Amino acid sequence: MNWQIVRALIAKDFKLYFRNRFFAFITVLALVAYIVIYFVMPQTVDETLEMAVYAPVLPPILEQAGSQGLELVLMESEEQLKEAVVGGEYLAGVVVPPDFMDKLMSGDKGQLDVYFGTDTPEELQDSITVLLEEMAYLQTGQMLSVRVSPEVLGRDMVGIQIPMRDRLLPMLAVIILMMEMLGLASLISSEVVGRTVQALLITPMTIRGLFAAKLIMGTSLAFIQVLLFMAVTGGLNQQPLIIIVALLLGAIMVTGIGFLVASGSKEMTTVMAWGFPALIVLSVPAFGVLAPGTVSDWVRAVPSYYLVDAVYQAANFNAGWSDIWDNLLILLSFDIVFVWLGITVLGRKLR
Amino acid sequence: MAGDAIIAQNLIYSYGQLLAVDDISFKVAEGEILGFLGPNGAGKSTTVKMLTGQLQPKGGQATLLGIDVARNPEKVQGNIGVCFELPNLYEQMSAEENLNLFARLFGIRPFDADALLKRVGLGGREHDRVEGYSKGMKQRLMVARALVNRPSILFLDEPTEGLDPTSSETIRNIILQERERGATVFLTTHDMMEADKLSDRVAFVDNGKIVVLDTPHNLKQQYGKRALRVEVARPDGGLDNREVILDKPETAGDVQGLFSKERVITVHSEEASLEDIFIEITGRGLVG
Repeated sequence: MNWQIVRALIAKDFKLYFRNRFFAFITVLALVAYIVIYFVMPQTVDETLEMAVYAPVLPPILEQAGSQGLELVLMESEEQLKEAVVGGEYLAGVVVPPDFMDKLMSGDKGQLDVYFGTDTPEELQDSITVLLEEMAYLQTGQMLSVRVSPEVLGRDMVGIQIPMRDRLLPMLAVIILMMEMLGLASLISSEVVGRTVQALLITPMTIRGLFAAKLIMGTSLAFIQVLLFMAVTGGLNQQPLIIIVALLLGAIMVTGIGFLVASGSKEMTTVMAWGFPALIVLSVPAFGVLAPGTVSDWVRAVPSYYLVDAVYQAANFNAGWSDIWDNLLILLSFDIVFVWLGITVLGRKLR
Repeated sequence: MAGDAIIAQNLIYSYGQLLAVDDISFKVAEGEILGFLGPNGAGKSTTVKMLTGQLQPKGGQATLLGIDVARNPEKVQGNIGVCFELPNLYEQMSAEENLNLFARLFGIRPFDADALLKRVGLGGREHDRVEGYSKGMKQRLMVARALVNRPSILFLDEPTEGLDPTSSETIRNIILQERERGATVFLTTHDMMEADKLSDRVAFVDNGKIVVLDTPHNLKQQYGKRALRVEVARPDGGLDNREVILDKPETAGDVQGLFSKERVITVHSEEASLEDIFIEITGRGLVG
């Protein structure tokens, strides 16, 4: 392969990319926007659960609730409490009748009225109900037949919850990579439609040289941007080498996908038509990090899962090579598949 | 005697069931201009694509400068220049950047883009982006790009179609200069006048076959009417046309009679145009 030709093509592609006002603008704007989004997101996680309470006589056990991670906010009236819950200020509100303690102490069954907001998850409603029942039993001195275990299932995140912005980091990284994929696909399809590729292919340049140039250009463009983003947002503070390798593999993967998108596109509209569904699918694993429990195990079938997971684990949990080598290996496999597939399909179109 | 720059032997190409090029064979000598004429869909572009290594022939062989095109397209492509019918330039780059890019692809350094641009009449506009160029300027830049590597063979596809007379004349002059330099020119065109003016030989292509290949002069001799068309003045001031058929025993007397009895205004030889010949041979015109 003639590397002088490859270098000339790469220089030409970078020049054309940044002379396309739309892509030059989008590239800079998006990078700045993602960095801003990251920094405006909360840096810490509030682990206390706020609950509204209206109680003319506050039971002693509720006074100690604050130390259990449950912060009770006293309301002045039952109406005020209902308004606050309906307005979404609190997940739940508890109305404690004035004779509640007396009834409990005399052995009668006391009654608490609990109000939930419409968007309070069912699991949380059950938890709060159980919590209140437990507190009532404790107040009467009777033990519940429930065994309490100090064992925590999964990673114990108490006190070290991942802030929203750090959860957002892998998703923004994937979006940056995918945006560059759209740019590359647009650049290639404009070469095909403008028939400039025909002019290139009757010079000593080979189709291999052309793909080498596109692969290097596409990967560099995506990789440099995502690296810049990670560096500015502090995403490289832990395990930088692992994250850099993962991002590089991710950039190669989106370049291969860019070849595929370009092969099915004639102009910007069709690039978007093919590119956005791909972008959405590849962003799904990142949503799983953003909101754990919202996606199922099938997400492992999405190639970007291994990029998202590698970046997330390394950046937030200091995961080492031994923890995520399998992710990187699978990502490399996807790189080979997508680049091979992209070159094969697009190569047919170019010839 | 000059050798053959282009040898096409039994070239065949089909798109599915459609046979686009049907067993074409011809040779073009070094320094020769060959006009390749035919209507749309006749197989001209497909032939050019096979000769320039853009398409692999489904049969036969193309040899350029002694190199088998199918086996070594890159080597052939390093020695040819191709000017396409429709502009395919990098419009967001300047003329100079376009030429410099292709010079790098051909491995030519140093390269004087300005001199080449001046030669095609684009001096002073070398730094302007191509998107702001007129059709004629783009076409001249296309020709300049085809000359970047000082090609031994120049393929030109409709190089003057739809251009203003100045741009057309510039391009024609460049073609002749290239021939003077020793380059072989393969000229694909619909323009009979242009082919007639520029070509050493012309090939008529129809339905994927070369139906005739000869010099314009020979074709005109062979297919034209050997006659004189004479305009004579009438007594009332009008004009009459007379035709004198050549190669007859009485021809000399007829000519003498015309000049002695009538007032001869003009005399023209009646030779067929290439278009007339094409129609006579194929039964249809070149356009369409």
